[in-house]
Amino acid sequence: MTVTPGNGELVLSGSIDESSELDKLLGRAHDNALVLDLAAVTFINSLGVRDWIRMLASAAQRGISVELRRVSEPVIHQLNMIVATRAHTRSFYGPYACDGCGREESMLIDVDVNGPALARLQPPPMTCPECGSAMAFNDFPERYFSFLVPQAP
Amino acid sequence: MATTPILIVHPDRKTQRLVHRILGVTGYRVELADNFAQATGLLDSLRPRLVITDAAMSLDPAYATFFEQARAHGADACMTLLGTPAPVPQIVGAGAVTNLLVHPMPVLAEELTITAHKLMLGDLFGVEKYLLWGTRLHETTLERASQRMAIVAELEAELGRRGQSARVARMVRLVADELISNAVHNAPVDDAGVHYLADRARDAELTLAGRQRVRVRWGCDARYVAVEVNDDFGSLDRDTALASLGKQAIREGGGGAGLGVAIAYRSCDHLVFNLAPGRRTEVIALVDVRYPPSEQPPASSYNVFVEKT
Repeated sequence: MTVTPGNGELVLSGSIDESSELDKLLGRAHDNALVLDLAAVTFINSLGVRDWIRMLASAAQRGISVELRRVSEPVIHQLNMIVATRAHTRSFYGPYACDGCGREESMLIDVDVNGPALARLQPPPMTCPECGSAMAFNDFPERYFSFLVPQAP
Repeated sequence: MATTPILIVHPDRKTQRLVHRILGVTGYRVELADNFAQATGLLDSLRPRLVITDAAMSLDPAYATFFEQARAHGADACMTLLGTPAPVPQIVGAGAVTNLLVHPMPVLAEELTITAHKLMLGDLFGVEKYLLWGTRLHETTLERASQRMAIVAELEAELGRRGQSARVARMVRLVADELISNAVHNAPVDDAGVHYLADRARDAELTLAGRQRVRVRWGCDARYVAVEVNDDFGSLDRDTALASLGKQAIREGGGGAGLGVAIAYRSCDHLVFNLAPGRRTEVIALVDVRYPPSEQPPASSYNVFVEKT
C-alpha cells in the first residue's frame, strides 16, 4: 500500500494487508480529522481488515474522526461483511452493468447528493460511458448499501 | 444399485420426486419421508448414508434433534437444500448440517449429484469433480510464505486477461489469499498438535519445507472459477470448519481465529472442505461466473467432507 497526500486527504493505493501499518496514518490527521481517499485500494484481506479495525479503534480512543471518500468496491465488500470496519463514508463506488453493450463499470456515488434515494435502497441512475445507454445496478441494493445503514449524518 | 440409501425428508411430493429422479437415475437407492417424525422412524431400519432436506424445514422444532439422531445413525453427512431465504448462520451453528447447497432453481442437480457421489463413493479429493471435462488446471507449490501475494495477484490479473469481470477476479484473489494464508500459517501442527506458525507475523518470510509446502491448483470453465488449496497436515477438523463458516463475529466485531475462512465463504459461491484427519486438508472455492451478483442467491453453499478411515 502506498500513501500520498491529496487535497486535504490521504490517498491510499494498492493492497491493504499485513504490511500496511495503518496505525501510522493517525499521525497524519489534521485537526483531529483523518480523511482517506480509497478509490485506488484494489485489495484488502482479513489481515488488512484486522489492521483497519485496530486503526479505527485507536482513532476513536484519540478523538480522531475518520472520513472515507471514493471507497472502492473491494473495501465496500469488507464494510458490508464486518460492521467494525465501518466509518463515515462520503462517497463510494458501486457496480453497474450496461443494458445496451454489457459493459461493467464501477461508478462513483455521492452519499450527500443521493442520501434519500440510498436510504430507500434506490441506486442512482447511471449512463454507460461507452454507448450512452442506461446502466443497471449490478448487485442487490439491500446487500451493497448495508454499510450505510448505521451511518450518522 | 447401491444398498446404502439416501433419505429425502420433505413435505412436498413434487420436490420429493424431483430429488428422487436426480439421485435415483444415477443408481442410488432413494427413500422418502414427509416429515421428521416419519424420517426418525426410518433411521434404524435404513441407516442412510445421506439425509437430504430443505432449509425451510429448519424452522421445524424437530430439526436439530432429527439431524443429531441421523448423525448418530451414520448419516454424518446431512444436506440441506436452500430454496428460500433461511437462517444460514443458525444452520451452520447447529453443527449437524455438513452440506448446504444454495440454489436459485428448484434443485441444483449438478452439485447435488457431485455431493452424493463423493459421499457414497468415498472419493472426496480433487477440484476436477466441480469442473467440466477438459478444463485445464494450473498448479503452483509454495515453498516460501511470501509467494502468496504474488500468486494471488497474478491469478487476478490472469482472470482479467481471460475476460472475466473485475468483480469475479477480485473475489477469486481474495478467496485464494485467505485459503493460502490459512494453509501456510494455521495448518502446520507439531507432534503435540500445537499450531506452531499460527502466531508468526504474516509479513515475516517463512521457508516452507516438506509437509509445510502448500499446493494450489485453479481452473475455469464456463460455470466456475475454481481454486483448490492443499496442505499435508490434515489438522482442520469438521467442527472447526463448521464453526469458521458460521462465525458471527464477522458481522458484529471482526477479528479472531477463523476470520479468513469466514471471509472466504462469504466471498465465493461454494466452499468445499475435504478433510483427511492427520494427513491432508483440501479446500476448494468456487466462484460462479454465469450470473451477475444481482441474480445470485443471497447465501453461499458449503460442504464439509471427512474421509472415512
